Amino acid sequence: MRWVVLLLAFLLPALAQEAPPPDLSPEVFRIARELRCPVCQGESAAESNSGVAVEMRRIIAEMLREGKTEEEIKAFFVERYGDWILYAPPRRGVTLWVWVLPVLGLLLLGLGLFAYFRPKPLPKELLEEAERRLKEPPR
Amino acid sequence: MTPALLGNLSVSLALAFSLLGLALALLAYLQGDGRFLRGARALVLPAFLAALAAFLALEWALLAHDFSLAYVARNHSTKDPLWVTLVTPWAALEGSILLWGLLQTLYTLLASRKPLDPWRASLVLAVLYGIQVFFFGVMATIASPFQTLPNPPQDGVGPNPLLQNHWMMAVHPVLMYLGFVGLSVPYAYAVAAMVARRYQTWVEETRWWTLIAWGFLTAGKVAGMWWSYEVLGWGGYWAWDPVENASFVPWLLATAFLHTALVQQTRGAFKAWNFAFVTLAFAATVLGTFLTRSGVIQSVHAFAEGPVGPAFLGFFLLATGLGLGLLSRVSREVRDTALFHPFSREGALLLGAFFFAGWALVVVLGTFYPLLVEAFAKAKVSVGAPFFNQVSAPLGAGILLLMGVGPLLPWRRPRKEVFRNLYLLLSVLALGTLLGLLRGYTLGASLAVGLFLYNAAAIYLLAREGVLARVRAGLSPWGFLANRRRVGSLVVHFAVALMGLGIAFSQTYRLESEKTLYRGEAWEVGGVRLTFQGVRALDEGRRFAVEALLGTGRFGEVRPRLHFYPQMNSPLPAPKVIYTPGNDYYFLLMDFDREKGEWASIRLIVTPLVFWMWVAGALMALGTLYILWPVGRAEEARGVSPA
Repeated sequence: MRWVVLLLAFLLPALAQEAPPPDLSPEVFRIARELRCPVCQGESAAESNSGVAVEMRRIIAEMLREGKTEEEIKAFFVERYGDWILYAPPRRGVTLWVWVLPVLGLLLLGLGLFAYFRPKPLPKELLEEAERRLKEPPR
Repeated sequence: MTPALLGNLSVSLALAFSLLGLALALLAYLQGDGRFLRGARALVLPAFLAALAAFLALEWALLAHDFSLAYVARNHSTKDPLWVTLVTPWAALEGSILLWGLLQTLYTLLASRKPLDPWRASLVLAVLYGIQVFFFGVMATIASPFQTLPNPPQDGVGPNPLLQNHWMMAVHPVLMYLGFVGLSVPYAYAVAAMVARRYQTWVEETRWWTLIAWGFLTAGKVAGMWWSYEVLGWGGYWAWDPVENASFVPWLLATAFLHTALVQQTRGAFKAWNFAFVTLAFAATVLGTFLTRSGVIQSVHAFAEGPVGPAFLGFFLLATGLGLGLLSRVSREVRDTALFHPFSREGALLLGAFFFAGWALVVVLGTFYPLLVEAFAKAKVSVGAPFFNQVSAPLGAGILLLMGVGPLLPWRRPRKEVFRNLYLLLSVLALGTLLGLLRGYTLGASLAVGLFLYNAAAIYLLAREGVLARVRAGLSPWGFLANRRRVGSLVVHFAVALMGLGIAFSQTYRLESEKTLYRGEAWEVGGVRLTFQGVRALDEGRRFAVEALLGTGRFGEVRPRLHFYPQMNSPLPAPKVIYTPGNDYYFLLMDFDREKGEWASIRLIVTPLVFWMWVAGALMALGTLYILWPVGRAEEARGVSPA
């Protein structure tokens, strides 16, 4: 055991530890999943193991213990990092459109489909042609 | 002979054969001369062999630890186990393009074997050769896997450790590429159909290709989800990562195409839709590669930045422009003239295809939105999982709803007895949802229960109908199984419903918790009683592993690990997953006392019904395989009714 610890300590000087990490309740993860880990590539603060994400989880747990609500916690991070930290883009300003466009697009698709299925009257020439043929004496 | 020499030579040869093949195929079409076509056909095999030689040269370089190659130096280490070495060709950009090119030559080879009229045969070959020219052109110029280093290192760092952690990495990329490349054949046929103005038969002729591409894409996606679940250590299977999205979009469009193609095969309608969907599906595979490889988006999948991105973007625009440009030229001729009843099989199929295409649109929008905002509004925004989950839920529910009733509707217009079935199904849906609500599930989860039961009931009705029709006709009921298309699609549909149930529950009811335990300490969480018994370290050559020994009672001792790789500055958690039909228990070692091993931080994630998602994935693959299974000539001659 000792030699491994020595070796690891040699390998990982950057990871010198002080105290063990705090306990995290399911609530912490639920909130952290909605927040971006600022230094990662497309990972949320719940998933990432980077120092920043660990710290974010710690802060969330701390704030929850202080009785802060989810909104207050998110607002705290938005104040620090801007709206960018939120994985669900807020429904206002420049990100309003990302919510509106899918609805608009689907509505348009629906309208298009409606037009597609609506009975279209046959073209006039075709009707006249048919009528003329009907009137023709059979050969 | 060195691997570099063999590789460079083979890539150049493959490029030369493809260029020559392209020229001959075009000449054959323009001159109407069969000799050129014979020439173009004759080059298919040499191009494949050259690509194969290039691929083997890369394997050779890896096996021989030839660090004079930049690719080997960057992605290989002498300490890699054999299987990792063998799959390293697709661990990074240049090798992936080589694999893609190799598979493209293989598909061209197989596609060229099919008898086809000389005009369209020349055009199909021209398109496929054109794609090959692009891939080998990229390899010969901006992304060569055989670039050499002036001062080769003694040893390399090996591939990204995330890719070494699980054997799935050997499988997932190959399946994805087989799917992506598979879409090139229907695309080539569609282009040929539009140029030669023969719009009807290509869908039937490429039915096999479309299905095989869809099957591989599906299997590849599920394999990737499983890899993410087992390796990435976050207990999830789908992160709405830009690259996941980029490969989800071709799947969605291929699914849309698969369903509208059915209408053209049966009723000769929806020709324009099919041209549009197949073009977009194929182009989306290229767009996905642009996203991954250009460095515009960072993710687990993104390998490196470089000039490859713009090349793929250009190719994407070319492929889309060719397909849609031709479509606009012939649009008057492929317009649907027949009347469609919305409440018919074709109505449901088109509506379903629109749900898939709309979904693809939403995913593209969400993926590109941050880029657009950054480019035009100079602001940074994130569009992540919460957004995609919210917009996907109604679309997924709509698809599940259509999937149940669609196959029960007759072609052209509804019959009276259909309504009886429909009321029956809707009451199953309502009852199932109510049952879920009574059990205290959320509305979404209850609806998922209802939709699952509704689909199961619909499949039962369909199977019963098929069997009864045979019995009434005095035939053996087992003959129903010979209707491969019907049976296979029912299996796949059931699997999709099961997948929907798994996704709804695993997304809604997920318990994630973390605690630091001291030796001997117990922790009661999520229905498990954990006791921490200590840590143990193992030297595995290329990495160190530290495992926590956890007593769980029910599941015996579990040992989640942390892996320390010399090339990574933070350790990678290797989770231990206990799969059960109800809940999955996902154990992670997050941290431990490095001095005395007195404490360890353990994370436990309990997720319901994930197990069934993997079952559903396997069923989807099996269902597709059942449809594709070669039918004996006798059976084919007997003819199996399509109903």
